[in-house]
Amino acid sequence: MPTIREKTQNIIEDWIAPQSRVLDLGCGDGTLLSRLTQRKQVDGIGVEISRDMIVKCLGKGISVYQADIDHGLSQWDELSFDYVILTATLQVIHRPYHVINEMLRVGRCAVISVSNFGYAANRLGIMLKGRMTDEMRLTGDWHDTPVIRFVCLCEFIRSLSEMGVDILDARFFLPFDLAVRTKIPLDNLIVKEAIFMLGHNR
Amino acid sequence: MSTSPIVETSILSIDRPFRLESGEILSEVNIAYETYGELNKTKDNAILIEHALSGNAHAAFCHKGETKPGWWDVMIGPGKAFDTEKYFIICANVISGCNGTTGPSSINPATGEPYALTFPPVTIRDMVEVQRLLLSHFGIERLKSVVGGSMGGMQTMQIFCDYPSLFDSFICIASAMRHSAQQIAFNEVGRRAIMADPRWNGGNFYGEIPPEGGLSVARMIGHITYISEKMMQEKFGRLRKGKDSKAVFRPSFEVEHYLDYQGIAFVRRFDANSYLYITTAIDNFDLVSSISGSTRLRGENRARGRGFDTLRKKKGLVISFTSDWLYPSQQSHDIVRFFSGLNVRVSYAEIATDHGHDAFLTDYEQLSLIVSSFLDSPNELSRL
Repeated sequence: MPTIREKTQNIIEDWIAPQSRVLDLGCGDGTLLSRLTQRKQVDGIGVEISRDMIVKCLGKGISVYQADIDHGLSQWDELSFDYVILTATLQVIHRPYHVINEMLRVGRCAVISVSNFGYAANRLGIMLKGRMTDEMRLTGDWHDTPVIRFVCLCEFIRSLSEMGVDILDARFFLPFDLAVRTKIPLDNLIVKEAIFMLGHNR
Repeated sequence: MSTSPIVETSILSIDRPFRLESGEILSEVNIAYETYGELNKTKDNAILIEHALSGNAHAAFCHKGETKPGWWDVMIGPGKAFDTEKYFIICANVISGCNGTTGPSSINPATGEPYALTFPPVTIRDMVEVQRLLLSHFGIERLKSVVGGSMGGMQTMQIFCDYPSLFDSFICIASAMRHSAQQIAFNEVGRRAIMADPRWNGGNFYGEIPPEGGLSVARMIGHITYISEKMMQEKFGRLRKGKDSKAVFRPSFEVEHYLDYQGIAFVRRFDANSYLYITTAIDNFDLVSSISGSTRLRGENRARGRGFDTLRKKKGLVISFTSDWLYPSQQSHDIVRFFSGLNVRVSYAEIATDHGHDAFLTDYEQLSLIVSSFLDSPNELSRL
């Protein structure tokens, strides 16, 4: 069974038009970008803060820019990209509003995945353990986890409308390997993770 | 480093006139160069190394009878970042230099005397045009890459933009597309120190004692800017040495002795007039204006008002160092931005170090990791 990460990547691959210009924020070792380059012939560049990950990207022939996403996008002009992707890193970003606005400045569309803090298993975990679970922290202990933003689905969607950002497409991942395209009742409880294609009415 | 292989500097003599960007003509040009590794049969495994202000053609290995290897030996050699088992590495001394390539200390064949200040002014573009003569000599029409730090980065960008079809990629380390006012100011203080030395004598000091005082002060200023404040503090702090000296203003702090040593070591190997010519070329360098406009006299797309289509999809790597305050990271960001705008696939890495600008010579471990993964990677991912 594919993991949510793999499913997310499949969806992104479906969404992204061939030969488009793609910026992947927090691109890690460049897995997604090399896949998009090979299968969709995109013109891609990654942004990454870790030196070791930079080395891995370069080794794959992926263009990569070493920067902290929180201050990193001023490098690019308006609409330099068709898509700006942010997957699995939203929770570690200090200034999410700034970053989302920047993504939609330098890109026509933003692709963002959100791990729903309100998901039932998280609620249960906190109730039983009395603390953040290891899954929520990704890595580290309470004092050194990179995860500093615990956002739930309903708050994220509310923020998008506050920012005047339109949801162009979305997938909501449910338990038992289910995924739906539209908002459903009790989504803040039963959606584990969601991925959005966002844009501006320009 | 006594295990380094032996190399010697060769001279290529070009006996026909060489026209400089200024329009002035040199009746002949000597090019001092070294090579490491073997040129393959298809002649496409070459990498051109561009040296910095005080560098020379001796980039790696050892000269016979010497134990000190070339200035970038940590990066060039078997199994190193610029792997001589795979690549054919070329490094040439720049025109107006003083280590074998024609410069102000060379003899002007018309007069039989050193050129001194009758040597024409040179530009970064002149430096790379001379290197093209060397590439033609080897019959090389396509290079794997061109790489350089500091002034070497300027040459790298110039030749890559002027002759994009020559190269698969470029690597530009701790450099700038143009000097800032502060960078020009530091160079100017160095030049003034040389010219204020009475021994400089309007550049006519050959056969006499050279302006050692002025040149060593210029080098001392340089060395202050090459390392970070933090590194200087950690290395020297307020430590003193040589307290027994009776003179009032003898150097007593460690840092004074260090600068003194650097200055003296430099005057033994460098020509004061070359220092003036080269720093002026660096200050005058402005990549954007040199490659745009209809006044271009050199390069592939010259004076055609054409875009830089040949640059499209080529690869570039730009590297800066966190503590480099002489060539701050922002200048490398500007380089990335510029080349991205020309559709070059540029990558950027910022190496965390306390070593300042000199890190491009010293922090070879981090540099090697980044450079070798870049060089060894596939060119066209979509064709995998």
